[in-house]
Amino acid sequence: MRNQTPLELDIQTDWTEMGNVFESALQFFEHAGFDPDAVNTYTMVVCELVENGIKYAKSSNGELSAVHVSVRISSQTVTIQVTNPINAASRAHLQDLDRTIQWVRGYQDPFEAFIERMKEISREPIDLPKSGLGIVRVAVEGRAALDFFLGEDNTLSVLAVSRIEN
Amino acid sequence: MESSNTYQKDSLTINRNESEDELTLSFFGKSILHNPSDFVLPILLEALEMAENSAKRLTMDFRDLAYMNSSTFTPVIKILERARLATNRVTAIYRKGLKWQEVSFTALTIFRTQDGRIDIQGVE
Repeated sequence: MRNQTPLELDIQTDWTEMGNVFESALQFFEHAGFDPDAVNTYTMVVCELVENGIKYAKSSNGELSAVHVSVRISSQTVTIQVTNPINAASRAHLQDLDRTIQWVRGYQDPFEAFIERMKEISREPIDLPKSGLGIVRVAVEGRAALDFFLGEDNTLSVLAVSRIEN
Repeated sequence: MESSNTYQKDSLTINRNESEDELTLSFFGKSILHNPSDFVLPILLEALEMAENSAKRLTMDFRDLAYMNSSTFTPVIKILERARLATNRVTAIYRKGLKWQEVSFTALTIFRTQDGRIDIQGVE
């Protein structure tokens, strides 16, 4: 079963929402008839992108704001889009995101980028919790093409498009 | 003498079991923690030290983990690197039949040492 009604979620920027996001995505992909590995993969893509959205969602007045998730399935692709408001303080994140996506694209095999990032993490101080693996993992495990765009209403949308493997 | 301890935060549970020759950390549930290093790293560091003091191998068993966000890899990577640069014996076990575990944990084989001191094992 494919081409079902898209999944649309509005999430408050509260980390406790992640459990619901995980379950909603998991059930959506199960209901769409994907095998368990594909269900896990696409659920991971949704969760990694939503985690980023929650971390960086800021409205123009600096307050936390909602994140929107949209998942669409066609006969050949799964398209996951996560949109969140941003403000001037989010610019550094945008640069990081752009740099990371370009960096991953620079590798013929994204798995090499994944390994490189793991090596970098291993060299960082043990008490530095930053991962920076999420976007790379989406490209590697999710086999997704990544892009992002800025909306006129000060929103950032990150898009992951995965080709469905038969 | 065998001993065990259980740690839990949200949907992630870590069981620590110590036998005569091995100290095992078994991961269960899902890790979708905001700052997993705050919870996971102290447990890993303590276990690494305990294993070292008693000359035992530390085994981290991820086979029953249903999901792990990318931030949770950070403390695991750092423990493997710390062990690699020291003299610890550490094994990470994952479920080969689960695609997400196969993809992510295969990457951890970069920390493997030729003498088997640090090992990453995919099992069925």
